[in-house]
Amino acid sequence: MKNEWWKWLLAIFSAIYVAGAVLVALAIIDNQKLTSEWKKVYQVQPEPKGRISPEAQNAALKKKIQNYQPKGVYIMIDSAENKYYLKEGNKILKEGLVSTGSGEILVDPNGKRSWIFDTPKGEFFVKSKIQNPYWVKPDWAFIEEGEPVPKRMEDRVEGGVLGDYALGFGNGYFLHGTLYTRLLGRNVTHGCVRFADKDLEAVFKVSRIGTKIYIF
Amino acid sequence: MKQVTASDKKRNLEKRGFSLFFSGCLILCLIGSLVQPALAGIEADHVSNRVIAGGQQKKAEVKKELRAASPASPNEVGSELLIENKFLEKELSLAKNQKYYFVINLKDKKIELRVRGMLLKSWIASQIRCSGQPWALSVISLNQKSALNPPERKMIRPGEGDTAGLVEQDPNIDDKANGNKSKKENTSPDSQLGGSSESFQLEALEITDMPGNYELIFDNGLQVSVRAGAGKGPKLSRLKENLSWYIFLPVKNFLMKNKTIKPRMILYFDLIRDAQGIYWAFIDGIQGIIWLP
Repeated sequence: MKNEWWKWLLAIFSAIYVAGAVLVALAIIDNQKLTSEWKKVYQVQPEPKGRISPEAQNAALKKKIQNYQPKGVYIMIDSAENKYYLKEGNKILKEGLVSTGSGEILVDPNGKRSWIFDTPKGEFFVKSKIQNPYWVKPDWAFIEEGEPVPKRMEDRVEGGVLGDYALGFGNGYFLHGTLYTRLLGRNVTHGCVRFADKDLEAVFKVSRIGTKIYIF
Repeated sequence: MKQVTASDKKRNLEKRGFSLFFSGCLILCLIGSLVQPALAGIEADHVSNRVIAGGQQKKAEVKKELRAASPASPNEVGSELLIENKFLEKELSLAKNQKYYFVINLKDKKIELRVRGMLLKSWIASQIRCSGQPWALSVISLNQKSALNPPERKMIRPGEGDTAGLVEQDPNIDDKANGNKSKKENTSPDSQLGGSSESFQLEALEITDMPGNYELIFDNGLQVSVRAGAGKGPKLSRLKENLSWYIFLPVKNFLMKNKTIKPRMILYFDLIRDAQGIYWAFIDGIQGIIWLP
């Protein structure tokens, strides 16, 4: 009798194994039921007769969506890859590298203000077109450098850093040139989009006030 | 002649018991391996326009061949059109606003970023798995992104300069301090477009800082796991995930029968960059549609 302990152990393990197998089998059956539910969810009942045909409805919906798409030239900026595309319809007219927001955070040590240097995402449009732009340095530019924020506007103006052209798209954000051409293709800016000189010139020339900008 | 004793008989019985047990195990294992794929929940097959159980992929391939041989029936075409119309209705509601949205096409395993009905960017998943309660064709929004090592934003210490400050140390590049110097004078090869910008160690948050494995939790309870990469590590974790998907998840779902089973989806990508790109593009609150054409 003493030597038969293993038989009991074997029996217990077998029972557990069989129970497990049964459980798995039941789970399979249950899972199959779920699969059939999936099929039901994606079954669409046709509209009652006499109403608009599915083909016509399809064409109408596609046209409605198409109406929201930009007419003429538009600018697309991929902030992940730091690339821009100048497009018209589905055709790419020009593409190249840009620099977009660094995503860094700056906290004002003397106050409660803080800034996140992200390039805004979504749909925008060109609100202003400027040749030979000057940079009016905002407060964060001085705080970042550890300098006191000037009270006079003249002390904020800096020339030659934004390139030959700038396209404003709201809230102080611009598409502009850069001195740091080596950093094109990287996320280094305070939220603006930096272009290479030639690319910026091409974009500036074809853009009008109202030209759509899509940033993602 | 050797005499068969009682102890010999007992030993023979024991041997038989063992062999029976092991053969039983073997048979169960075989059955298990045959039915395991059926436990896969639902996998979006690249070819079939139906949501199918994981183990039926071969059948789907046969179906595809049959379908290629014979033209689709008018009913099938009509049904596809009705589903597409329903999708277009939902997309129209998203195309009306300025925000970009996503579309996950389970049939083509395609994840698209769109705005105003226009394609911005797309990624192709190597595999998509779905399980749990199915969700209806509707607009959903992202509630939360969860990763083991989420990217952290760097803080700028005032006075120490930012990313651009790091560049100031490089004599080949113009900076704010010597900005008066004409940029046209800068003809050094390093300053040209396509230079070795990748070699810079920036403090910035870039796509390469994004995780390759993470979860996206949507407002309808759907949890989408994104998995990426090749190599030893991911293969091991893939094995673990397969075990969990094929065995533990169905059993768990079965045991929780009375409770609602949350919908789950796994997107597999061959390239980590694709998974990182989705993490980057899927901002909090982003809306979109998951559909099966």
